[in-house]
This record gives sequence, C-alpha cells and structure tokens, in this order.
Amino acid sequence: MKLPKSITAIVPFVAGVLLALAAGWTAFPRAIYRAQRQPVNFSHRVHADKAGQKCDDCHSFRADGTFAGVPTLDKCSGCHAVPMGNTAEEKAFIDRYVTPGREPQWLVYARQPENVYFSHITHVKLAGMKCETCHGNEGATDGLRAYQEDRVSGYSRDVFRSMKMDDCVDCHRRQGMDHSCLDCHK
Amino acid sequence: MTTTRRNLFKLAGGAAAGSLLTPAPWRLITDTALLSENWPGVPRPKRGEVSYRFGNCALCTAGCAVRARCVAGQPVALAGVEAHPLSRGALCTYGIAGHHLPYHPARLRQGPVAEASAAVQSAIRTLRPNEHCAVLDLRPGRTASWTYRRAMASVRNGMYLASESNTAVDLASAKTVLSLGVPVLDGWGTPGNVWALRGGFHLIQAEPVESRTAVMADLWLPIRAGSEAALLDAVRGGSASDAAAQTGLSEQQIASLARELRENGPSLVLDRNGASPMIARREAPVPEEWKKAVPATQLASVSEESIRVLLIDESMPGEYLPWSAIQPKLTSDCVVVSFAWSKEGYGRQARFTLPAAVYPEVVDDIPPAIDSPAAMFRLAAALVAPPEGMVSPTGFIAGLAGIDAKNALQERVAAIQKSGRGSVFDPSGAAKPADLWKALQAGATWIDDREPRASVISTQIASPLADDKNRSSAPLAIAFSEPRAAALVSPLMSKVTNESGLRLGTHGVAIHPSDARGAGLAEGSRARLETASGFVTVDISVDDTVPPGVIQVGGGPDLQNVCGANRRGRVVAL
Amino acid sequence: MTSSKKTIKAARYGMTIDIDRCNGCGACMVACAVENNIPPVPQGGDRKGLTWIRVYKVDNGAQGADRRSAFVPMLCQQCGNEAPCAHVCPQNAVEIDPATGIVGQMPERCLGCRYCMAACPYHARYYNWWDPAWPAGMERTLNPDVAPRMRGVVEKCNFCHARWHAAREQAAADGKPDTEPVNYVPACAEACPTHAIRFVDLNQTSVEGFRMLEKLGTEPKIFYQSKRDWVRQIAEAPRPTANGSKQGKEASRG
Repeated sequence: MKLPKSITAIVPFVAGVLLALAAGWTAFPRAIYRAQRQPVNFSHRVHADKAGQKCDDCHSFRADGTFAGVPTLDKCSGCHAVPMGNTAEEKAFIDRYVTPGREPQWLVYARQPENVYFSHITHVKLAGMKCETCHGNEGATDGLRAYQEDRVSGYSRDVFRSMKMDDCVDCHRRQGMDHSCLDCHK
Repeated sequence: MTTTRRNLFKLAGGAAAGSLLTPAPWRLITDTALLSENWPGVPRPKRGEVSYRFGNCALCTAGCAVRARCVAGQPVALAGVEAHPLSRGALCTYGIAGHHLPYHPARLRQGPVAEASAAVQSAIRTLRPNEHCAVLDLRPGRTASWTYRRAMASVRNGMYLASESNTAVDLASAKTVLSLGVPVLDGWGTPGNVWALRGGFHLIQAEPVESRTAVMADLWLPIRAGSEAALLDAVRGGSASDAAAQTGLSEQQIASLARELRENGPSLVLDRNGASPMIARREAPVPEEWKKAVPATQLASVSEESIRVLLIDESMPGEYLPWSAIQPKLTSDCVVVSFAWSKEGYGRQARFTLPAAVYPEVVDDIPPAIDSPAAMFRLAAALVAPPEGMVSPTGFIAGLAGIDAKNALQERVAAIQKSGRGSVFDPSGAAKPADLWKALQAGATWIDDREPRASVISTQIASPLADDKNRSSAPLAIAFSEPRAAALVSPLMSKVTNESGLRLGTHGVAIHPSDARGAGLAEGSRARLETASGFVTVDISVDDTVPPGVIQVGGGPDLQNVCGANRRGRVVAL
Repeated sequence: MTSSKKTIKAARYGMTIDIDRCNGCGACMVACAVENNIPPVPQGGDRKGLTWIRVYKVDNGAQGADRRSAFVPMLCQQCGNEAPCAHVCPQNAVEIDPATGIVGQMPERCLGCRYCMAACPYHARYYNWWDPAWPAGMERTLNPDVAPRMRGVVEKCNFCHARWHAAREQAAADGKPDTEPVNYVPACAEACPTHAIRFVDLNQTSVEGFRMLEKLGTEPKIFYQSKRDWVRQIAEAPRPTANGSKQGKEASRG
C-alpha cells in the first residue's frame, strides 16, 4: 500500500522526534552521569540494626549548633579500631583508612554549591523534620549506592532530582514560611 | 522514502524539536551555568569543626591577647580578648590578619644552613684578639635573648647587642603628654591600654604632618620637620624665640606648652627614640644559673671593624637598626648571618639568610610593651605547624656554645612560678591556674607586681637630626607616618594601602605637589628614595597635606633601614 | 512539632559610628576582608579595590594650621526605604531581608551590569574585576561560612550575615525560642579598637546621630555621631571626599 504523500513527508520529522526522545530519555541520562563508587561500601542497616545506632549518633549536632555532616574517621575508629565483624569490606576499611589514619573521601550526595547555606538544626530541631524527608530512607540501605556525578557540573543526580532550590522554596511555601534570599545563601 | 537533503533536514528538525521535550538541553544549560561557577578556580573554603584557641600576638611588643577562631584546627580569624587587663580586647590593623603571616608570598622557605654554620664556626675559630662574635637581637627582653646572652658568654669574645628593654613609661599617671611625632594613638604601646587611659591625659602632638594621632590629639602643633630638639629645649627652659624660629610656632604657643607641661603634671615627653621620664622595670624572674651571661652592649659603644661574626635575629623584629650604623662595626671579612622570615630586612646585606618560623607557628615569649610598668610574661601560641626547613635562631646560636636551650621557656616559667610574684590573667577564666606553664601555653598572661619604688630614669632624648653626622643638604626632611612595628603581615594590607590610600605601605611615601613637580613625579610613580644610608625604591603618593620640603614615609624594614638614622633624603624619578 | 506559619520577630540591625573616636587605623577594613573572604587587590588601586568598609579621610577645607581632619568609615548604609540598588537591579539580585532589615546582595544572581553601583549614592558597592586570588597556602585561612565570589559580580557589606546565621544556630542549640532576634556582632564592630563602630538592633535601642545624605530619603540605618559641626556638614555634601587632600584624585569611588 502506498502511503499518502502528506504522511511520507512528515515521516523523517517524526522519526527525528522519536529518535531524540529516545536518546534524550535513555542515552542522555546514562551519558551525562558518571557513577563513582564510595570509598567504603558502608552498610547503614548493619549499623542501625546490629549496632543499634540512630541517625544522630554519627550525624550529630555540635555544641554550637552546626551540623557535623558525614562523620570523620575518629568516629569510625572509635569502634573499628579492631574488626567488629568478619566482612572483607570492613577489613579493607581498617587497612586502608583506620590504620594509616587517612580520612575517607566520602562523596556527599547532597553537596550543594558553595554559596548555599543550609541550617540542619533549624529544620531538624525547630521544624521537627525527619532525616528521611529530604535524604530518603538511607538508614535501611545495605550499602551505599553509587554517586552519580554529573560530568559537566559535578553535582549529584540526587540534587537534581529533589534538592534543587525550587524544591526548597516549594516546601517553604507549603509551610507558609517567610523567607528571603539571605536565609539560604551565603 | 529516499535520502534527500530535505529529508535529512526534516530529521534534524524533528530531532531538535523532540530534544526540547527531553531533559537534555535544559540540563546542559543548567550545567553550563554551574560549570561557569566552578571553572574559574575560585577556592572553596575548607569546612570543619570550629574551635577557639587563646594566645598572644607576637607582631609587636604590645603582645595583645588573641582569640583565634579555628576551623578544623586552622586559624581563620583573630579577635581580641575583652577581659584582658592591658589589651582590653583591642587588636590593631596588623594583628587582625596575623594568622596570614605564614602564607605571605615574601616568606623564605629555604636557606644555606650548612654553609652558614660552617662559615660561622670557622670564623669563630679564627677570631683575632680584638674581634668579636656578636648576636644582634632585634627583639630584646625575651627568653631567647637570655639564651643568646648565655651562649655569648661561652663563645670566644662573645658579645650581645641589643637596645634597652628594661625601661617603661607610666602612662597611667601622666596628665600631659607631649609626643614628638610618636604615633601614640596609632599603634604605640599597647593600643587597648592607651585608649583605656585616653581620658586621663592631655595629648599634644608635635609633628610636621597631621598624622592619625594628630587628628585625635587634644592639640596638634605643626612644627617643622627636624625641629623636635629645639622645641624640647625651649620647653625645658631654653630660649622660646630660638625655638619659634626653628619650629615655625609662635612664641606664645611655645610658652603655653612649657607652662602646661610644668603646671599640669606629671608630664611625659615621648620621642621616637625614647621618653622622659622612664622608669626602670625589672624583668620576669630567670633561673639563677642563667645570670652568668654577658650583659647587653649598645651598638654605639662597639669599636669600629671589630665584629667578625654577626648573627642577627630578625625573626620577629621590633625596630630595625639602620645598616649604616652597623656596617662600620664589621670587619671586612665579617660573616653576617640573618635569621629572618623574609628577605626584606637585613637579607639584603647578610651573607647568609636563614629562614625562621613566624608567628603563629612558634611558641616564643613576648617582651612587655613600653607602656607596661610591670613586667609581663606571655607566650605566642603555636597554632599552625611551621614548614620544613625552618631554622631556629636560638637552636643555632645556642648550638655554637654547646648549650641546650630547648627547654628554656619551661625553665623560665619554673623560675617565675617559684618566685611567687605576680598574678595571672587566664582568658579561659581559671582563677589561679595550678600549672603556670600549661596556662601560659593556653594564652594566659603573667603580670608582675609593680615595684613600690621603681627608679626613674631621665633619658636624654636626642633627636636624630641633631646627631646626624651625615647632615646632608638633601632637600626633603623625613617624617614617619607608621608605627615602627608596621611590617609586612598579610597581602590584605592592600585594603588600607593600595585599595584606599588610607595608610602608606611598606614602600609608600607621600610628598607635597610642588616637590613632586620638582622631581618630575606624579601620583603612583616609582622613585628612588636616597639618604646618606642608602636608597630604596618607593611608590609616590602626592598629598598636599604634607608640607613642602617634607617626605612622609611608611613603615617596614626597608624604609627604616634607609631613614632610621638619616632624617634627610631626596626622591629621584626612576 | 508542626511548623505553623512562624514569623520571626523582626530585628532592624543598624550601627552607630562615632567619628570622634575613629582614628583611621583601618582595622575594620582588614577584619571585614578576613571575615568575608575578600581577596587582596593590589593592582588597579583605588577604583578597583574591594573594600566593603572603607575609611575616608575628610577635612574642614581650611589650609595650613587651621586644617582639621577626621576619619569616616563608610560601608553599605543598609537603606531602610527604597534602597536604590534594590530598585534598579535587573536580576532581582538585591533583596531586603524582612527578619533583619539587611539589604542582601546575591553575587550568584548578579550578572555584573553595575547599575546598582551607579545607583548607590554612597559608593558602597564593589565590582570583582578579577577572579579572587590569594597567595599559595593562604586559601587555608578562608572563612567557610562565606562563599568567595568569582569575577564579574558586584558585592557589598551584608552586616556579616553569616554571623547572624551562626548566632541563630547557637540559639537553637541552646534551646532558645527561635522567634527572638539574636545578638551578634559584625567583624568591623568587633575589631574596632576604639569602639567607634557599634552594632545595634534599632528595634530595641534608640540611637542618636546624623545620617549620610538624609535629603535623599533612603533612610539609612547607619547613624554617625560627632560633636564637630563641620563633620556633620560633610554628611550633607554631595559625596564623601577628602577635599583636595589627594591632588587630583578623589577619594571616593566615582
């Protein structure tokens, strides 16, 4: 059957659209991100279940109200000076980091540009937000997922998904908070 | 369907339209913006836990108490300590950026230690009978100073050169102060103390240019440059008309000044070389064994060509003695070693310049300031580690004499504690710290008891111009604008020099427009400032508040070196 | 704990600057640069420097022995009414913070047109002509609470807003109610050895003094004080210059 001329005429165009859509939605995300492994395949679940730890045992607030973020080596060495379990991963961690006293260079999924200021204590203590609201249920994960780094700008896919400025502003608006630029920028 | 060019374009057009419905172009736009933020290489400050450490600033003898804000152990900001009885929370323009000193671009990082050591030892071995090995201490009154004196007692013909450091001025009891060009309210003494006592004295500032102190003084007497001695003479009973002729003031002004000093006493006269009256101040106690040390010798009393080895400690200097005063005392084959942190001081003349650690890398005690009638003992804390390759001046010099001076500070502190004298100010609030050494390392200050009857010394203030043997006919009289301790501290000093013209920098000078025209200079020109002591390249500022015939100079080692002894000079366009 | 609409009790931060106490030492300028990661700008001199607070030398215009000078620290006057810079910015990069009254400049939003610099009657805004450069190793001394700016953007004093944030976090850690204003002090006021610069919350303290260019109606929140009449007259002059003291060179940014 011979298709009408009008249809034949737009086939290349439509083909182009479909190609672009496919590439844009599948190949592009794969290409734009580079997966980086974390220095240690840390299991939150093991530490939460077996060691009975809560989020703020390691991700704590200091006396001056600042947030300690990802814990430094001394927090880990406190328990892991000697192997606590029998996994190869833990042994590798002790050999590569604890013994020589080297700080693991963790890749922080939520890392924001330098000019962004976020006050954890305001959100956790004053607004009573749960860690999971912004960070997802990290506590239940068995290992650390790969840090998907945007090749051009260096930021993590997690930031583009749910931690952009728009996301913060939306939540502030939903809560009816007054806010101004200097609240979140430094 | 054939592959025609039109179809290709349609395909491309479709792809373009379709891509707009994918995240690709939007993400690339965002990424480009983000990339443009990162690619210039703007540094990202390191984050970490904030902690506070106390210490004392070693940039000058004020030794103001300092509270350092540290991030992950690295000092990032300094502030004063309000409760300190002397410094009262004040930190000066230089002290505020003291934590930058270790990173100053002029900093020396290496030097010929082995060669210097060999040369010095060989010279000491071959000293002729009338030749000396001398240590020139630019910051006398420290424990290190005692180490040098002890070392020179053990070295053949050892000599210790330093200016007087055991005298002080009692500002608290003065009712009238006549300052002959001394920057009383701009870096003299302990600034916090001076400001706290400000309401108690009437300040008369006599100098040719309206300095910062003159702006704030109760009275500014715009005398002609170099006429300080004449003014002083008249005030002490000499001829008022002579003084009027020389200073440019009226006889009434001089008579009124003399009357005020007489009637509204106690009065104090300050000059850049001394003060009157001064009181003797005993030093903080030292271990008995140390007292077998050579006394301090004044450079002026040393015979010419008699110093064969000269070891200069300018690691954290106070006042630079002009090289022109030092040079004649050296033999022709003198081995000059300078322990410095930059090449800007005697590094230009020394044969060997060895890099020394700086504040706040090294624990060293700070001698008391001129406005402290009681001795003080305080330490500059070591907040950052010094780089590799630094030479310790005390280690080097004590090593020449076979003395181990590594624990000198602790031994001194033990002697202080044993004496039972004095009181301790502890910024952390401990009332009477049990362990004085630990408290001092954490920023405390030991303050001696005042001697009930300290002897008063009437120093003969000699205006350098009067003694200027090389009285040249150079057209410009030199006036200093900065406190002598003004030194290279941080590149941030550009805020107050280049970026605002508020202060003259370490190579900055200011002249009147007519003098500038005469020398063919304009604002911002580079020129050579020549005196009988030498020359230095300077940056010209043209300023009509500087009287004609006067050149106002900034601070710093080079300018002091060239202008310190010679108060007349000329500027020549480069 | 739900977060209902919370309005922080607004503070209106301002300053009093006693010109009779200012000795022109410049400690405030250096302290500001240390706190806010302002790089040294040795090249370019007067017109291209970054001096968020700058001390000008002014005088009474007389010559010779009758001449009297004074030092006037000038910084962003934190205009309380219709800040000219906020008005003209095409990028909405200037915003008045309702909680503190601080006129906030967002360098990350600025595109560098410098319209605000022309609009500011106090010449209190500065442009980054170059990328910031610190000598090797000195970037270790940068303050992590303030982001360094790249070239091409305008910056100015924001009353050390990072210190306000730190004070709020401390208050939260101490369990204080978060609706109350906090006490903090900017770097310049903390550094001033003569206490000429004092930081106040104008909602809690009433202050006296004159303001610069009051006739413009910008309602600045910096109050200057002096007992000398000629100093007060400077405030009404067209711009804070050092009259004739630097031959042919204006002390203002121009």
